[in-house]
Amino acid sequence: MLKYLMKRSGIYLIMIFLTTSAGYFLAVSSLKPAVLEQEKIPRPTPEQVAASFRGLGLDPELNPWERYVQWLGGIVTRWDWGRSPNGAFVNAEFADRVMVSTRLFIASIILTLVIGVALGVYSAARQYKVQDRVITSYSYLVHILPAPIAYFLVQLGAIGINEAVGQRIFFVTGISTPGIEPGWPAFVDLVAHYAVPTFAMTIFGWAGYQIAQRQYLLDNVNADFVRTARAKGLTRNQAIRKHALRVSFIPVAQSIAFTIPAIFTGGFFAEAIFAWPGIGLWSIQAISLQDVNVATATLAYGSVIFAIGAILADFATTLVDPRVRVQ
Amino acid sequence: MTNIIDPIAEIDEARVGDQDVVIGKSRIIFRRFMRNRTAVAGLFIFLALFLFSIFGGFLTSWDKDTLDPLNIGMPPSPDHLLGTTQAGIDLMALIVDGTRTSILIGLIVGGVSVLISAVYGCTMAFFGGKVDATMLFILEALIMMPAILVVAVATSGSGGLKDLPSWLLLVVVLLFFSWMGTARLVRSLSMSLMQRDYVKAAKYMGVPSRRIVWRHLVPNIGSLLVLDFTRGITGAILAEVAFSFIGIGIKLPDVSLGVLIGQATGQVSSFPWMFWVPLTVMFLLTGSLAMMNDGLRDAFDPSSSSIGRAKTKTAKAAK
Amino acid sequence: MSTNTSQTPAERLRDAGLYAPGDAVLSVRDLNVRFNSENGVVHAVRGVDFDLMPGKTLGIVGESGSGKSVTSMAVMGLLPETADITGSVRFKGKELLGLSDKAMCKHRGSDIAMVFQDPLSSLTPVYTVGHQIIEALTVHNPTMSKQAKEARAVDLLRMVGIPSPKDRLKAFPHEFSGGMRQRVMIAIAIANDPRVLIADEPTTALDVTIQAQVLEVLHTAQEETGAAVVMITHDLGVVAGMADDIMVMYAGKPVETGTVEDIYYNPRMPYTLGLLGAVPRVDTSGKQSLVPIEGTPPNLALPVTGCSFAARCPMVSDACLHGEPELFPVPGVEGQTLGHKAACIKADQLSGDADAHKIFQAPPKPVSKFDGVARAERAKVLELKDVKKHFPLLKGALIKRRIGTVKAVDGLSFDIREGECVSIVGESGCGKTTTLLEIMEFHPDQVGEVVIGGVSNKVATDHKTKMAMRKEMQMVFQDPTGALDPRFTVYEVLAEPLENLGMPKAAIKKRIMELMKLVGLQPDHVNRFPNQFSGGQRQRIGIARALAVNPKLVVLDEPVSALDVSVQAGVINLLDKLRAELGLSYLMVAHDLSVVRHISDRVAVMYLGKIVETGDVDDVFDHPRHPYTRALLSAIPVPDPALERTRERIILQGDLPSPLDAPKGCNFATRCPVFAALPAAKQEKCLTLEPPLASEKEGTQDFACFFPDGEIDSDMLVVHA
Repeated sequence: MLKYLMKRSGIYLIMIFLTTSAGYFLAVSSLKPAVLEQEKIPRPTPEQVAASFRGLGLDPELNPWERYVQWLGGIVTRWDWGRSPNGAFVNAEFADRVMVSTRLFIASIILTLVIGVALGVYSAARQYKVQDRVITSYSYLVHILPAPIAYFLVQLGAIGINEAVGQRIFFVTGISTPGIEPGWPAFVDLVAHYAVPTFAMTIFGWAGYQIAQRQYLLDNVNADFVRTARAKGLTRNQAIRKHALRVSFIPVAQSIAFTIPAIFTGGFFAEAIFAWPGIGLWSIQAISLQDVNVATATLAYGSVIFAIGAILADFATTLVDPRVRVQ
Repeated sequence: MTNIIDPIAEIDEARVGDQDVVIGKSRIIFRRFMRNRTAVAGLFIFLALFLFSIFGGFLTSWDKDTLDPLNIGMPPSPDHLLGTTQAGIDLMALIVDGTRTSILIGLIVGGVSVLISAVYGCTMAFFGGKVDATMLFILEALIMMPAILVVAVATSGSGGLKDLPSWLLLVVVLLFFSWMGTARLVRSLSMSLMQRDYVKAAKYMGVPSRRIVWRHLVPNIGSLLVLDFTRGITGAILAEVAFSFIGIGIKLPDVSLGVLIGQATGQVSSFPWMFWVPLTVMFLLTGSLAMMNDGLRDAFDPSSSSIGRAKTKTAKAAK
Repeated sequence: MSTNTSQTPAERLRDAGLYAPGDAVLSVRDLNVRFNSENGVVHAVRGVDFDLMPGKTLGIVGESGSGKSVTSMAVMGLLPETADITGSVRFKGKELLGLSDKAMCKHRGSDIAMVFQDPLSSLTPVYTVGHQIIEALTVHNPTMSKQAKEARAVDLLRMVGIPSPKDRLKAFPHEFSGGMRQRVMIAIAIANDPRVLIADEPTTALDVTIQAQVLEVLHTAQEETGAAVVMITHDLGVVAGMADDIMVMYAGKPVETGTVEDIYYNPRMPYTLGLLGAVPRVDTSGKQSLVPIEGTPPNLALPVTGCSFAARCPMVSDACLHGEPELFPVPGVEGQTLGHKAACIKADQLSGDADAHKIFQAPPKPVSKFDGVARAERAKVLELKDVKKHFPLLKGALIKRRIGTVKAVDGLSFDIREGECVSIVGESGCGKTTTLLEIMEFHPDQVGEVVIGGVSNKVATDHKTKMAMRKEMQMVFQDPTGALDPRFTVYEVLAEPLENLGMPKAAIKKRIMELMKLVGLQPDHVNRFPNQFSGGQRQRIGIARALAVNPKLVVLDEPVSALDVSVQAGVINLLDKLRAELGLSYLMVAHDLSVVRHISDRVAVMYLGKIVETGDVDDVFDHPRHPYTRALLSAIPVPDPALERTRERIILQGDLPSPLDAPKGCNFATRCPVFAALPAAKQEKCLTLEPPLASEKEGTQDFACFFPDGEIDSDMLVVHA
């Protein structure tokens, strides 16, 4: 089991390396920080720009391959992911950004999963009844609504509530109010900041799980082994709850791998709309600032998240499916 | 998997010999699709929007490059059916243009990505072994890459791609990330088709591989591809809106629904029509596609719920 | 319902569902089941009546779509809610129809239990076998202690013959073979000592040797629990030895009921008569062709006007088309019981000595021009020389290590002469299908040699030679539905091989018309799609496609196993006819030894990749020498109740072992009933030396055993007295 996970991790490490390298080449060949420098006043000469970038390890005169080797060398020997055009070290900011993103997503990831699966089971048990139609239609509706617009609509709603009450209950942007006193006020402030993004990401996030769980459960509701369980003397509902449900978790567990990067991608939008300075927002800012190293670092982070999701999915699968466990 | 409803299948099987109840497969599909009222409605809405995006220009005498200095930031009026922007541009003209861009992006990305996935998936399945393993590895590596970052890099960079119009650039990038899932499906489906006895029979007759692929494999993955085409269109339109909304997709002077929605977010309270009108159009567009897709899926899938529903209805009617 | 005056008032009352004999555990009256489908309301079960007496076995026999499974599901209350069920189902006098799911649960699993057809999908994959057995106990005995339940589960597993039951409790279903899983299913079913046990095709998905084991377990289970059994099957052999009474169903209706002797020795409904004649028998040589029942069962979505069998019945008259006949008691003839009823207005014309062959106009056994020629003088159409197929068993992800070899086919040599049919038989996994693939694939780097029509696959490297070889040899597949592209019309299906040969259009058209006639299809049906034909017709299309290019040899991979019994006979007769008329040779793979005996001239019995016995079919079947052949043959049930009840059968223990690095000596030793009875000194020889495949006497079969005709170990020999 452990060996199997190790092996999978090894394969994902190779993949992360390849995607990150590919991302670096893409970034290095399309992002040109020197162009932005030209807009500075006083306008620096190209030589000055080159010289300052050379100091930062961003020498524009080297070809992509040379820069790649230099960049990779830094990571391998010193775990140094390079510097931004303004001289900041990627490593220095990285941890903060990851913390912000993780804080933003963790609650909604868990809520999404739990609510989505629960609603999927609930709606499958009431197939074609009103509850099922409402829940499932909602999920399909979410599918045709782009995430940023959905978040924006939630934001509008929160502003509406604030205005209706005549008092700022929810913060629609930002992480916390600067200079808030610790203790109870800080906690209230935290909740007020968390509420809107978490709510938005959760209610627009569970749709996928709901549909998948509903479908997988329905696939199993009429399975032969459910019939066997009923023939034993279990009621239809007991048979479904005890037998079909457990089996229907297997593909859901597997699908987690592919939803985690989706949450991460949705995270870009959430961070952008709710102005949380996490990894996603950082990467978009970095790209508009033509910052090769930050863009690549965030891309690598995305790949790692994916790999973690995939390994977790493998792990979850082995937990629920004894057929895999033996191998 | 056999299940409780098996007896029905059993009876269907036994009854097959009776000629008068048997109908052609394409007719069954068409009939099922047409019976699904939602799907038909979706088809009509989509066609209406499509025609609107082409001929909608005739509904307004203004075009998107002309300012109306007398009507700046005006709500809908007889002069400007959908109102104007704060720059005084007729919103109707913008929407017609934006819808056209969105549909164009959707159709191109949907269509081309289906082609890529069909070719890639079939190739993997057909050659198998090392070729399959390598191509699968590439596929998974691509799935791992966060698409959004690549989109952002490609559209914001100053490299060679910059010369393309922004919508075309977006099309290229979206294409790059849209085909992997389907390719995987095509692969597994073709692999199972290759195991079918009729493919083996052709092989044992000495029919050349190319012919087998063309005559037996391609038509049989057709339904998957048709479904994926509509799904791909929806996906591409949504992605365009999302990316343009946060400013990394289509850039002015190109106009798309996403750009229009994104631009209007700042002034939802003062110019609400500028936000809600393009949003509604986008909803109609993606919604109609989703409705059609639902109907197509039911029509293609013999075990789909549409039969189940018909069953309950007629059962009640019978009593 | 019945206006028949010959019934006593009590019988009429009973038939009306008002009164059932007090001693029946299960009484079913006028059971009707309707489903709604795409094509309207399907009346799947139309008035089923039966009484099941305690400890007795009722066999329900019918083809697919006859309503036999739906009947059992209706009794269990397991049909979907959308099904419309009317009539009466009483357990010990208590009405079960109309009970809520919850109320029904008190009876399901405790009073009435069921064993289903497909053991592979009938157990929940994520729970251990023990968990699933204990669950059945918990539902009906909530107060039972954990230890007691576990002990009972172990007992149950032991009863159904699972070795080391205590450890196996913790195993998951996927760690069991199909036969083992079916044993577990039986253990679950008998866990609460049910009064009624319904077995729905319990052995259809299993190999014959495993089928014999499972039937034996069912027999034991019935003895242990004293339950009454409803045995649902399409196989007249399976119920012959087990059942007390038989109900034959056709088109949703019982068409003949009676004791097992009534049905087998005195059938009074033409359908039953035809069915009995349609089954080839393993214990008699195939000198007579089978009884074909033409046509297909009626569409149950349409109202039934006359006798539902009329369209296929050779004895049909106008009277048959007006009003569906009820089940009338058959006029008493000597040696017949009162309960014998048949739904046929001509039942009295079919006396006990009715000849199905005459009535159904079975064709005479065709004679091939080669039949008179001695085998040695005929040309070889196919020859295999020491063909081997070993798969390496690999482990490890990035760097693969070879941990063993699966010898799927291990040194096979045989030949096929003009005009003869050679069959390969054996359990699934013995390598028979791999052998076919090796012949069909033309791998140039194959171990051994395959010679087709005098050309070896070693020299056939260029496309032209290969095409010429392909033309000599064509294949017919097991599943007629899967073998035809659903998007092709019959014309396109048949044109494919001809176009491939570059035949001109006009000639193709002519040839296709010929082919349609040849296989007994209407030539004007060429523009239809495969789904517009029945299974038997589809198989005929498959045969026509194989014959299109005029091959010398046709490879038949289980050609009739996917077909219903009545349809099977027609296809077998067709194959017989074509062989004689066109001078074809067949290489057939089949698991049904009765079919093999009927069609083949020669047979090869395979075990773990090797031929263990081969020779003339009559020699091998009448005087099997190898213990494996003996066990295989004894596992086949014969549709003859008297014979079936008294004959000895050899029940092999365990499943086919994995062909992983077979042992040094005889690879059958692990399961061999003769080996088990040998003294240790003689066993040594089996374990160290590999027996050669040779004949004892010139002109008889070859076999690979040191102790032919040896005494069978008494543990593996079963006789039901």
